[in-house]
Amino acid sequence: MSLSYIIESIISGLLLGGIYALLSVGFGLTWGTMKVLNISHAVFAVLGAFVAYWMFVKAGIDPLISLPLLATLLFLVGAVVYRLVIRPVQKAKDVIMASMVATFGVAIVVENAMSFFWRPDPRILKPPYAGSSIFIGDMAISQGPLIGFIMAVSAITLLYLFLHHTYIGKGVQATWQNPMGAALVGINPGRVSLITFALSIASAGLAGVAMAMIYAFYPSVQSVWTMFVFLVTIVGGVGSVIGTGLAGLLIGFIIGLCAAFLPFVWVNVLLFALLLAILLFKPEGLFGA
Amino acid sequence: MRALTNLDFVVGQGQIVGLIGPNGSGKTTLFNAITGFYPADSGRIIYKGKEITRCRPYEIARLGIARTFQIVRPLLGLSVLDNVTTAVLYGREAIGSMGKGRGRALELLKFVRLDDKKDVPAQRLVAAEKKRLELARALALKPEFLLLDEVFSGLNDTEIQDAIKLIFRIRDELGVTIFLIEHVMKAVMGTCEKIFVIQYGVKLAEGKPEEVSRDPAVIEAYLGKKRAC
Amino acid sequence: MKTRKYILVLLAMFVLFAFPIVKPPLFFLTLCFSVFMFVGLTESWNLLGGYTGYVSLGHIAFFSTGAYTTAVCMNRLGLSPFVTAPLGGIFSAILAALVGYPVLRLKGAYFTISSLLLAVVMQLIFMNWDFVGSSTGLWYKLLPVSIEMNRLLFYEAMLILATITTLVVRYVERSKFGAGLVAIREDEDVAKTMGINTPWLKMKAFILGAFLAGTVGGIYGYYMSYVHPEVTFSMNTSLLILLMSFFGGCRTWSGPLIGAVVLSLANQLIVTFIGAEISRILYGLLLVIVIMFMPDGVIQYAREAFAREKG
Repeated sequence: MSLSYIIESIISGLLLGGIYALLSVGFGLTWGTMKVLNISHAVFAVLGAFVAYWMFVKAGIDPLISLPLLATLLFLVGAVVYRLVIRPVQKAKDVIMASMVATFGVAIVVENAMSFFWRPDPRILKPPYAGSSIFIGDMAISQGPLIGFIMAVSAITLLYLFLHHTYIGKGVQATWQNPMGAALVGINPGRVSLITFALSIASAGLAGVAMAMIYAFYPSVQSVWTMFVFLVTIVGGVGSVIGTGLAGLLIGFIIGLCAAFLPFVWVNVLLFALLLAILLFKPEGLFGA
Repeated sequence: MRALTNLDFVVGQGQIVGLIGPNGSGKTTLFNAITGFYPADSGRIIYKGKEITRCRPYEIARLGIARTFQIVRPLLGLSVLDNVTTAVLYGREAIGSMGKGRGRALELLKFVRLDDKKDVPAQRLVAAEKKRLELARALALKPEFLLLDEVFSGLNDTEIQDAIKLIFRIRDELGVTIFLIEHVMKAVMGTCEKIFVIQYGVKLAEGKPEEVSRDPAVIEAYLGKKRAC
Repeated sequence: MKTRKYILVLLAMFVLFAFPIVKPPLFFLTLCFSVFMFVGLTESWNLLGGYTGYVSLGHIAFFSTGAYTTAVCMNRLGLSPFVTAPLGGIFSAILAALVGYPVLRLKGAYFTISSLLLAVVMQLIFMNWDFVGSSTGLWYKLLPVSIEMNRLLFYEAMLILATITTLVVRYVERSKFGAGLVAIREDEDVAKTMGINTPWLKMKAFILGAFLAGTVGGIYGYYMSYVHPEVTFSMNTSLLILLMSFFGGCRTWSGPLIGAVVLSLANQLIVTFIGAEISRILYGLLLVIVIMFMPDGVIQYAREAFAREKG
């Protein structure tokens, strides 16, 4: 096994890890700021993948071009879900449990609706540039994951800038750190929650597009993606954008390294063992704020 | 950062001892250390001749050390009676049956004069009643050593007098040694035979209430220096 | 009057036990079987979930351990499922003891995610372990009795299990053990200061729940005559358990019972007459609506509504 094979594998892993980071960042955000455990987060990633797929296949719109429209669409979906489901749930005595249960319902509904209307067959998003590879030396880097990675990094950066450098974004952070204080200075917690949740769903949708360019997707894959969301979020520390980013890279690195030597199944077992270890010994995450 | 440094306290059996000091001086931290919630990095905590520094909270409870919390923490979802009954069942009186447990709980509620509210959900009690519930729950353990964390806060004058009487009854009738954290000076002066003062996690003074209240270091800690320069 | 209540209950039980005598269509027997199974699962789950407040999404792992124990023991050792089911319960209990030690130290959502992890990892392992049939699954050998006898036996067996589980949980609720669990749920630190050995109590609840679920699984597996990692370890079932308990109200013994009966009946009916996907969509919607209006469960809501009527 040559060194370049290993490095190639690691790079592949890192690219995937970046996309996992985008997939997870929104989940951590809603958990950290609103104490809402949105189990339906990944299902909206699949939805995003489907939207991009249909736009590409039926209207010939390149996925990258459809991104802004897709993000807006999923932002609106997120706003609707927030208003209908999340807002009432926030009044429960135990918001975490109630939100877990309610969002599980949402996940079932959306997954099975997609399955019903669009059939459960696997699809993949294959714009012309996704098939080819870039060559560095004798290593091949597939363009699909590379573009997905660039997408993910851009989106995460935008999100980070939003949270730290815009008025609304700082309001989100303030509400997270001190809900009552934030309300006292005139920040509307309902509006903040709505924006946070909608952004999180939009980011999931974007991640779904990136995933769709690498892997086949189908409605029920959402539960597999959900496990990775948990993994990256907890390793990275709930609510920390940078933490999630780093965690994604770390997980990606591990996947890449192990995939060079182990059968895929064992890579998953290893990852979940890692998750358990983190939960036991460092539940606040490796990179948490 | 150290919360508590080189503390050296002795509380004798049957005494009522007070612990005072400005906010943030580490009083509750000390209670948490004694009851096993915070592990001590160094030093020893000795109870009745045996070291309890490494014991876990429930083991310390089983040894007979009970405590109340600064912000009262009743089991909100349960009724007053159920709160105390659970405490009795797991207390040191080895009562296993629910019926006998309830009976004993009722006695304790009578002792703190909360028996008329026995079926009220704990969350509907007013502050003073919650404190008495917390006390009943602590006594249900059948403790020999009781740690009270600011039980007098928020009470009016009549309630303070009643509480002082209750404290003495606990010591005299139940034979419990009491160590209390307090800000309400009236209560401290009225109950304690000895007082420790701590500030910034360090012992500042120790002695009888009258002596301590005249100690200049203590006065300075509470009131600040008299002059700026 | 109390005696009247007891008579009604006994009557209902008699009807349930005697039901197969009227030779109902298979559909009804299977329906009831499924309801009894969920009663057993939700009640056993509720020991740790509702009373103690530690919500597990991995209960399915114990259920599956029981199902697989029966499959393997029947096929390889020729043991009767009535022996292998309790054996499955014991294996589940051992699994709970091993896993519980690290996992019960976690709180809230972290515990829930770890429990989910348990089920997912077990599924992965079973998918790749030839001894238990890996991705092909295992077919059960059938007992040498007629098909009707089979169905009758297992209907009664599952009914007995559902009854036993419910009675056990009801007993715990009224005991010192139950009081301790509730204290842990309300305020775990305070529970410790009351002298409650919290790690040990949580373990007991976890192990007991696992044993009951494993036994239920042991009987279920045989009835379905087939186990497969994707079907038996379905995350869907784990969440269904949670939701049924939540729906009915997880603070009493009657809550999971009601939730299991209502929701599994509804589920079976919708699946049979309308279709699997639509049923799941409706089911999901139902759950969202329930949580929105009754975030603390049906029983709690009914109690409060009743109290408001009286007062």
